Amino acid sequence: MGQSQKKSKLSLKSYSKFDSIDGSHPFKKAVPEGFIDYPARIRKGGKLAFFNYALAKEMGLIPVSHPEKMDKELEKKVLETFGIVIINEFDQMNGRSFDKKDIKSGTYMATRYLQLQHEDKTGRTSGDGRSIWNGQVKHKGSTWDISSCGTGATALSPATSKYNRFFETGDPSISYGCGYAELDEGLSTALFSDIFHRNNINTEQTLCVIEYEKNYSINVRAHQSLFRPSHFFGYLKQGNYTNLKNSIDYYIDSRRADKEFENCPKGPKKYDYLLNYVCRTFANTTAIFEDEYIFCWLDWDGDNILMDGGIIDYGSVRQFGLFHHEYRYDDVERFSTNILEQKEKAKKIVQTFIQLVDFLKTKEKRPLGQFKKHKVLTEFESLFNERKNYNLLKKLGLGESAVEALLDKHISVVEDFRKVFSYFERAKSSKGLGRVSDGVSWDAIFCMRDLLRELPQIYLSREEHLNEAEFIEIIRSNYATQEDLEVNSYRKKKIKEFQELYSSLIELSCMEDGTSKEKRLLEMTMRSAVINKMERVTGDAISLIVDLVMKQRKKIGSDEIYKLFKKFSSFQTMDPSGQSLPNKKFWSSNLMRQFYEIVKERREGI
Amino acid sequence: MKLALYSGGHDFENIRMDEALLSMVGNKNPKVSFIPSCSYLSHVDFREYVSQYRKHRIKRFIHFPIDTSFSNVVKEEVFNGDIIHLSGGNTYYFLKHLRKAKMLGALKEFVKRGGVLTGLSAGAIIMTKNINTAGFPSFDRDENEDNVKNLNGMGLVNFEFFPHYKNSARYDKELLKYSKKSRNKIYACPDGAGILLNDGMKTFVGKCYCFFNGEKIVL
Repeated sequence: MGQSQKKSKLSLKSYSKFDSIDGSHPFKKAVPEGFIDYPARIRKGGKLAFFNYALAKEMGLIPVSHPEKMDKELEKKVLETFGIVIINEFDQMNGRSFDKKDIKSGTYMATRYLQLQHEDKTGRTSGDGRSIWNGQVKHKGSTWDISSCGTGATALSPATSKYNRFFETGDPSISYGCGYAELDEGLSTALFSDIFHRNNINTEQTLCVIEYEKNYSINVRAHQSLFRPSHFFGYLKQGNYTNLKNSIDYYIDSRRADKEFENCPKGPKKYDYLLNYVCRTFANTTAIFEDEYIFCWLDWDGDNILMDGGIIDYGSVRQFGLFHHEYRYDDVERFSTNILEQKEKAKKIVQTFIQLVDFLKTKEKRPLGQFKKHKVLTEFESLFNERKNYNLLKKLGLGESAVEALLDKHISVVEDFRKVFSYFERAKSSKGLGRVSDGVSWDAIFCMRDLLRELPQIYLSREEHLNEAEFIEIIRSNYATQEDLEVNSYRKKKIKEFQELYSSLIELSCMEDGTSKEKRLLEMTMRSAVINKMERVTGDAISLIVDLVMKQRKKIGSDEIYKLFKKFSSFQTMDPSGQSLPNKKFWSSNLMRQFYEIVKERREGI
Repeated sequence: MKLALYSGGHDFENIRMDEALLSMVGNKNPKVSFIPSCSYLSHVDFREYVSQYRKHRIKRFIHFPIDTSFSNVVKEEVFNGDIIHLSGGNTYYFLKHLRKAKMLGALKEFVKRGGVLTGLSAGAIIMTKNINTAGFPSFDRDENEDNVKNLNGMGLVNFEFFPHYKNSARYDKELLKYSKKSRNKIYACPDGAGILLNDGMKTFVGKCYCFFNGEKIVL
């Protein structure tokens, strides 16, 4: 046997795990009514636009030693596994026949879940409208769900529900419901989710993007459980005890291998355990979203978010440069919530879980309103506030032990500081509400990140507070008009209060651990330079970067896109420990340099 | 005028340069500002810089990137300080942005007022008459991706500076060739070496070389 044959056999063997991704999934057995099962066929003409080698290695799909370079066998395997289109109701009713060799052996589920945009409002008609679940893989104690978006029109799309008929996949008369996904949304999700993932924000991740003609694509996502609260809320709304119990039991059992669920009891107390988990997860997640200025449209249906607080569906996800808390995404028929309303919606999701657990335990579905004073909601408020306090101290540039000491012993100073911080963070322009590219917004005017980055080094330099004009000069953004920057007596008082409380926090932290003030300020200067770095990507910047990649698409292959994204994400990692630094030769690519300029230009946007 | 031109190298290689530099500073608790050649990942260089000078008991540092928007309040702190350091990097990019941010004049004023200006590699080249030395040798030069045409430096000294010099034939070949064209003396310094100027007094630290009129002189 020649060397090349040996190599070929070895690599084919090393990709064999892809063969298990054939549509099978344990949820099918657990909740037989929880999905619509579709046969599928190979979709021809696809080519790889992006393949996430790091994720594929973590999932055990390719060996850890695999080079980050596409080879023919791997590409073939990826296209055969994920380059598929369902044979839907329209195909079946119209007697369409397909070449037998193109038909996949397995069937693929489109899961049912609640979605507010469906008139039904109980989840009977809604769910994966253009996605199917490819399956599940296990590797090193972790279980990964894999699903693909753009694999054809299912009967759970809003279009089918609205017009009461089935649609042909790719029907040009209906964009939202034609079953296809687009290349730019696939690449945006790949980049955005990788940045969040590296910054410890829980999120779906993109395994690969397969490109087809007319810039259509199949976007393959993976996460350790792709279940959303909305997967359970539909059965709750319907009062379908059996399916609700089966799906919740399935979810809990599927998570038992994870650290979060390792102490979960086996009996009915497991539902209380789940409730506490959801409360903790959603309190922390929304606090992080608020403090990182992440806009993720949460609503009562529990869609757009995973059970573990992970972001899913990046269509409307944004990261703001300033706290643009009046921004709302325009979804044609409705406006989204804004970033501040996310918390109340998350709380509503927790309240719905209280109702859900009560239903599971008593078999009696009581009205949601009866749970609005439940102790778990009080716990939610408390956890949310604790996390906000923690997040703020971390953003100042304080290290873990200094943060803990302040939270433990000087919480009133921390909370007073958070109030005055919030006053500046939430200040809005006198220009009022206006249209932006995909919604409406009322511009924030102050850049708190700039202030937190510069303040420690200024105090280190001069040992005295800033005067009002200096304070405003640092904090002002390009959105602020002269009128917005006026220093009236109230604002003057707030500037003084901000600086006094900031200094108190530093002095108290020094008192607690015996560190000198100079050392603490220097440590904060260095950490804050990373945490609050000037060049932080926004949603606008992501869109422009992907536009640029799309324009260059013919010149750059999937491996190059992967490398570009990896490098860029690494640059966007706000890790003050400095352990995840990208290669310093950022300028080696002209495209990367253009990315950098876009980020700088759009850093205050939405 | 107080200047220090560092060639490059690790912190332990530059201890003599650092000590000589700090002896020129009057303030016992000096305020030191770090201007990176490029804001991209500059916090990493800043961290290294702080680590190097904390060994000399410096406590007050400012990180001040100028190729992105900056606050005038921070700028004032920088120029009211004792030492300003221009980092290494791409000399063309750095010069372009120092010029764009109107820093060149401000830095000259700072030096005139008695402030100590230091530069490493690209930063040191920019302090001299021009930045021609950034363009060679062919095997180790900065790329002029920004297409900078005006290669005049700050002109604080009447010589040119060649950092990261290695005492070898291939370096000498290009330096000798260039020295025939240039009217200025070119001081070539290996990593760890450098030049200090203290009110007219020039000191070479480490083994330095001079290239002039097609000749090489060991200093």
